[in-house]
Amino acid sequence: MSLTGGVPDFVLPPPTGPYRRLNPTTKLLIAVAEALIAFGVRGWTGPLLVLAAVAASALRAGVGRSLLPFLVATIPLVASILLVNTFLYAGATDRIVVIGPLAPTWTGLSFAVQATLRVVAFAMSAAVLGLTTAPDELVADLERRGMGRRTAFVLGATVRSVPRIIERVREITEAQRARGLDTEGRIWRRVRGLVPLAGPLIFGALTDVEEQTMALEARGFSAPSRRAVIRALPDSTAQRGLRWALTAGTLVLLVGSITGLLGFVP
Amino acid sequence: MVVAIAINIVLGYTVQTVLKLPIYLDSIGTILVGVLAGPIAGLVTGAASNLIWQYAPGIGGGTIGPFAITAAVIGLMAGIWGYLGVYRSRPASGPRLWLAAIVGVAVILFLASRIYNNPAYVDPNVGGYPGWVFGAIVGIAVVASLGVAGFILVRRDVAGAWVAVAGALTGIVAALVSAPIAAYVFGGVTGSGTDLIVAALRQGGQDVYHASLGQGLFSDPIDKTITSFVVFVVLASLSPRIVARFPLGERIVSDREE
Repeated sequence: MSLTGGVPDFVLPPPTGPYRRLNPTTKLLIAVAEALIAFGVRGWTGPLLVLAAVAASALRAGVGRSLLPFLVATIPLVASILLVNTFLYAGATDRIVVIGPLAPTWTGLSFAVQATLRVVAFAMSAAVLGLTTAPDELVADLERRGMGRRTAFVLGATVRSVPRIIERVREITEAQRARGLDTEGRIWRRVRGLVPLAGPLIFGALTDVEEQTMALEARGFSAPSRRAVIRALPDSTAQRGLRWALTAGTLVLLVGSITGLLGFVP
Repeated sequence: MVVAIAINIVLGYTVQTVLKLPIYLDSIGTILVGVLAGPIAGLVTGAASNLIWQYAPGIGGGTIGPFAITAAVIGLMAGIWGYLGVYRSRPASGPRLWLAAIVGVAVILFLASRIYNNPAYVDPNVGGYPGWVFGAIVGIAVVASLGVAGFILVRRDVAGAWVAVAGALTGIVAALVSAPIAAYVFGGVTGSGTDLIVAALRQGGQDVYHASLGQGLFSDPIDKTITSFVVFVVLASLSPRIVARFPLGERIVSDREE
């Protein structure tokens, strides 16, 4: 189902564009490989390589503008990384300028920009996956490849239940505000709102567990036979080759970076 | 597990946006599952929460994924506490109640003193908190002590002392696990208000890892202790019929039914 509560994904027209048409598992593997390279390959090489790949895939998928909210969401973390490391890098003496008690250093700035690029590259790689892949398709494809039905259920049901629980939180918040819940006052008054907010949400969720369990059992969830997967998503020999190449390439880059065999830009 | 993961994702976000509190509380679902269903279920819920939150199409994004290891450890520890019956309500009165209140306060003051007197934070050759952090440590320790003692005495429940110990220990382990992740992956910061402590430690001369560890040891025990008390109150409010259906339910409801 669509997360926005609109038309289910399976009645929507098939995705267009070469990147969007990729098999969901291929896109997941690309995102995971990008995360590993962004964090595992040290120096400038890893994050810049991933940023270039993310930019290319976002353009091919036509989701460049949709990435903006995800980029904005990283601003607090990025600002913190830049400020703390540029101004307070322990042991660095190569000062850029001295402004009263503040002395930003080149070493700190270099470390901060590298960390920023890694964080942005990682966040954008996950965002591109989210923007170009339908949850149901990803879960169905992973199940077809042998993922256990319980794992598939947890993945699929969690993604589907989040919008429902967000809606429930909104209702609980409004109801508790009508009963005098203070969400704007002093901190100790807001702390008192924790249990009135969390309690009804958790009680309702635990009650739902019983209903969900009975509904699943009634539909043969625990049956020993293998489930038939009706939806076959497009895959190709080229994509299989891409997945293997991606796995091997990522391993080579990580091992090369860790052992120092590959001469990356420091 | 599904609803626990969704609760982690939604409640952590709600606490920060609706109540605007400077705490994470994004592990209520994980601790709840661990306490009710055991260490393995807690571990899987913790890890899956962060990975799904990071990668799930439609709700993914952000930078929480690398902390999946921390969340898994929190879930594992919650399962151990559940197995040991830490969250079982223990009504008491008289000297036993006062003893529990004193134990709860002593644990908090001991933890605060370890932070206050740790050479890593006070030695100017290694690093050090600025003056306001020491004031904050004393203030938080006093408030936490009063809170825990008040909780035990008002509810007349000895379990409050055990929950405080479990929450604080979980927070310390969470800090030890997340410090290298924050240092290596995010340059020592997390983009939240606790970065002020990181900045203070860095200003004192600490390196990235030790500043991150210092921040974690300061804020994680507070966060996980509050989370543990929220879970305890929720469990105590549930009907024994519902709690008893979970694998470790009997270890939570047994005394209440006596």
